[in-house]
Amino acid sequence: MATLYLIFIIFLGGAILTYYAGKLGSVLQDIIFLATILGATSLFYAGVHINDFMSFNPGGITLTWGINYFGWLFSLIVLGLGSLAAVYSVGYMKGKKRRGYFYFNFILSIMAMLGILVSQDLISFFIFWEIMTWSSYLMVIYNGKDDQKLGLKYFIFSAIGAYAMLMAIVMVHSVTNTFLIGNMIEAYPQMSLSWQIWIPILFLTAFGVKAAMMPLHVWAPGAYSSSPMAYTSVFSGALSKMGIYGMVIILVTMISHLPQGIWFRETLAWLGGLTAALGTLWAIKQDDAKKLLAYSSIAQLGYIITGVAIGTELGLLAGLFLAVMHALFKGTLFMVVGAIEKQTGTTNFTEVTGLIRKMPWTFFSALLAIIALAGIPPLGGFVGKWMLYEALITSNHYLLVILIFFASTAAFLYCYKFLFGFFMGQEEKEWEHVKEAPATMVVPMVLMALFMAVLGSWPGIILNPINNGLVDLGFVSTYKHLWDTSILFNSWGNQVVLKPLLYSVVAIFVFFAIVLIWKGFKGTRYVSTKDISSSGEVPGENENLTFSLGFAQPFLRAVGPVMKRQIDRYYTEFADGLESFFEFLRRIYTGNGQTYAIYVFVFVVIVLLFKDVLF
Amino acid sequence: MVGTPVLFIAIPLLAAFLIPLLGMIWKELVRIVPGLVLIYLLILAVNLLDHVMVHGPIIEIIAGWAPPIGINLVFSAFSGFLVTIMIFLGLLIWLYSYRFKKNVGYEPAKKYFLLLMMLITGSVGIVLTGDIFNMFVFIEITGISAYGLTAFYTGRDSAEASFKYLMLGSIASTFLLLAIMIIYSQLGTLNMADIANRIHTMNPTYKIISLIFFITALGIEAEIFPLNGWAPDAYSEAPGPVGAAFAGIVVKASVYAIIRYIFTIFDVDGAFNFLIIIGMLTLIIAEMAAIRQEKLKRMLAYSSIGQMGLVLVAFGFGTEEGVYAALFLMLNHAIIKSLLFFSGSYLVYNSKDKLIAEMNGLGKKLPITSFLFALGAFAIIGLPPFAGFWSKLSVLTAAADKNMIFIMSLILFVSLIELVYYLRVVNRLYNSKEKASSIEVKKPTANALITMLVLGGLILLIGFYPDVVTGVLHKASAALMDKSQYIHNVLSINQ
Repeated sequence: MATLYLIFIIFLGGAILTYYAGKLGSVLQDIIFLATILGATSLFYAGVHINDFMSFNPGGITLTWGINYFGWLFSLIVLGLGSLAAVYSVGYMKGKKRRGYFYFNFILSIMAMLGILVSQDLISFFIFWEIMTWSSYLMVIYNGKDDQKLGLKYFIFSAIGAYAMLMAIVMVHSVTNTFLIGNMIEAYPQMSLSWQIWIPILFLTAFGVKAAMMPLHVWAPGAYSSSPMAYTSVFSGALSKMGIYGMVIILVTMISHLPQGIWFRETLAWLGGLTAALGTLWAIKQDDAKKLLAYSSIAQLGYIITGVAIGTELGLLAGLFLAVMHALFKGTLFMVVGAIEKQTGTTNFTEVTGLIRKMPWTFFSALLAIIALAGIPPLGGFVGKWMLYEALITSNHYLLVILIFFASTAAFLYCYKFLFGFFMGQEEKEWEHVKEAPATMVVPMVLMALFMAVLGSWPGIILNPINNGLVDLGFVSTYKHLWDTSILFNSWGNQVVLKPLLYSVVAIFVFFAIVLIWKGFKGTRYVSTKDISSSGEVPGENENLTFSLGFAQPFLRAVGPVMKRQIDRYYTEFADGLESFFEFLRRIYTGNGQTYAIYVFVFVVIVLLFKDVLF
Repeated sequence: MVGTPVLFIAIPLLAAFLIPLLGMIWKELVRIVPGLVLIYLLILAVNLLDHVMVHGPIIEIIAGWAPPIGINLVFSAFSGFLVTIMIFLGLLIWLYSYRFKKNVGYEPAKKYFLLLMMLITGSVGIVLTGDIFNMFVFIEITGISAYGLTAFYTGRDSAEASFKYLMLGSIASTFLLLAIMIIYSQLGTLNMADIANRIHTMNPTYKIISLIFFITALGIEAEIFPLNGWAPDAYSEAPGPVGAAFAGIVVKASVYAIIRYIFTIFDVDGAFNFLIIIGMLTLIIAEMAAIRQEKLKRMLAYSSIGQMGLVLVAFGFGTEEGVYAALFLMLNHAIIKSLLFFSGSYLVYNSKDKLIAEMNGLGKKLPITSFLFALGAFAIIGLPPFAGFWSKLSVLTAAADKNMIFIMSLILFVSLIELVYYLRVVNRLYNSKEKASSIEVKKPTANALITMLVLGGLILLIGFYPDVVTGVLHKASAALMDKSQYIHNVLSINQ
């Protein structure tokens, strides 16, 4: 089991080496960086056995490391996405400043996430959780332009979560006298009712912050959009899943024992639904691709939370399947934005258009990712969404279905905006020189896009590990009837029922497309994309014709009242209020020696007066 | 054994008096001798602590009179641990300030090192002595040298700060003397063990009043709210290393005194809850004040006060775990806060007003110093895997075991405030967007850099491998908790 130690030593040593290797040459730095991540990843899958645990005692506290099936499922997200993003980073960071800083924090984030998954005790869980927090914080402030204090906001919210978790951890410790997660789960049913309620609330607060759940999500848009895109794909794709990971553990092992657990589930499911709906609306409003994807991430995490919160077998399967899918398509999309940013220098839809011919592979990945995100068959996103709807309907959450349905329909708007805004539309002179991104950036994107397509037809690749994970958590085994959980699956269980139908549709579509192109080939007249007129008016040379300008205005006007109140503003006001209160309190220290002397005597008199009460 | 506890007092005191004379021989001796003395004392302290951990406390009788009549020194695991921290910190302060300012001439350097040696003598004496009047004498020695050090920069502001300190310090002495008089008039003894042995025979009213006077007097020195008015001014006007000395040495000695009175000498149970109350008040008010500070050193001063409040709260739990947590906090505070004072001094070295707002973009100009400051900030907030995390965890565990959920949540809330103001400074250091500070930076001297690197290394060492200190801490906390053993050890020495 020493392999696990070795992996963490590789990560730590690699991080430090990479940091200093920059002085020797950037190629060497890239190689060490990739070797660290890929080496540790392959070592993990080659040398670490599932359900093989080891313990050690630093500072008199028993810590246990090892991975179970549930952790292993998430390790796929962390290490899979992490490795691809690492390859991507090499291309993305080419020619950028502070590469050592970036690589250092990248490796530490991956290490911390893996650490969370292998921690079988609360202390190492917390330590890795915090390492994950500060390494991602350092990424958020990578650009050194913390205009709106985004980094600080992220850190404060993470700290609120972390402190809530720390409180729960020490509360558990005072009952069980150990920090082992297994002992906590065993001892939970015997705790007093108030503790049975408070401990999950505190844990869920911590996990809700990382999973960007309403109303703890306010850090997310800024933090996601201001860290470098190569990192954001991990940040949004994998790091937020750590919140889901913890949430599922708490829900399955604790809330299931609680008779009042139904309230937890309903509250969480509704918070998830609201997160999905509002996140979608805000995403539609954005003109910047980074911001759009950031809000879209929040919305997608909302679906996942809803799925895992309703807690039926199908719900958990749906939530976790969506979690994997989200890691894939949001990872890809952030990479796409990164590639566009790298090649054009901006991520604003109203400026960049018509990249389809210049960056075809990027377009291809973006297209597949968007199809998966929107939940259109035959990609994996469809399977997940279908399972989520089915889970909600079979558990009688009809209102919630409407909310989720509204959110995912509205999501088409921003999907369209994203795809059309960047890749279609008029080809501006300004972007004529743009070329496809380098291979190190394109290959990871395309690989992930293809994997999404595969998952749409063979969801069993992911559903089996999910099932094993749930069994490991003590969930009723779905092994025998995994393929009966949803009507979507065929009786062999490894494919989607609709597959033959879908492929027939696709085949017919492709056939006619080819025929039409063939037929119309001869009569084609080439025009520039600017050769248009609207309402009989020929647009001027410098007129901004981008599709995304003023996109979906009537829709946004209609939903305007919902978006009027921003929870962010309440937090800011609260913080300002606190600070003025502190300012008032600070005046106790007047700077006047006489006042201080008076304080001393007042203190003595008060204590003497109340000495019978106090002592 | 290589020496006895009395050397901890005799040698630095002697060195302090010899410094001016040695300076007449060779001026550089003024700077060298304190370092040699402190190195020797550190070796001695570590050796004795090692001995004490195995063989039990060393009790030394001064001048041949056995207790309870004579004065005795007690070097137990608890007091020995504190002495070791103080001497170690003293050594680092010496190393750091060896050439802190190039332009500091012979005359100020002489005074500085003389006062520093006196300060260490007094503080170590407070911790080692077993006699309450003797402790009063040491508190006076510490106080006088601290007033002098506060006024080291002979400007108007430092003189004012020093005067405030002096004024409150005199009030403290008055109360301390009153308390000692009450005890002596009632029990006719000044020996701690003897008092502890017979305290239950004392009239409860007198007992409580003397305890209150003790807490007031020592609370002024230990920066307890609302008695700590002197502290922010003194910290911000004194040189950086002196701030570290106040936080790491003087205040620790005063806290020790309070703890000794409450845990060993008096048998008043309500005192523990009182410690929690005043500790919480100190913590909350100080951290709230810290967030609104504009000057770096003032911010660090308030933060330091707050940490001491937390230490008192941890002691107030009255359990062995609480004491363990408190000692761990004191150790971490000594290391981390010193690092913050040391690196912070260089960050605002040439600035006139020492404002936090002037620190923009220093991360580029002073990379190592800024990095170490950030490390210290992360550590003091309690982020793992740095040293501060383990002490914060042990405080919270101790609170949870006492079922004090409300106290726990308050501590965490205050930690959040702490996090905000430290991160604001760190953010500024690495913020490249705003206009970088135009003030010329001062690169740290080699010895200062070594000092800071040693402290940074310690933070990482304890963070990754807390076992290096936990053994000593457990022994030390057990030694404090065992009151009857202390009394027995001291009083049986004459047989």
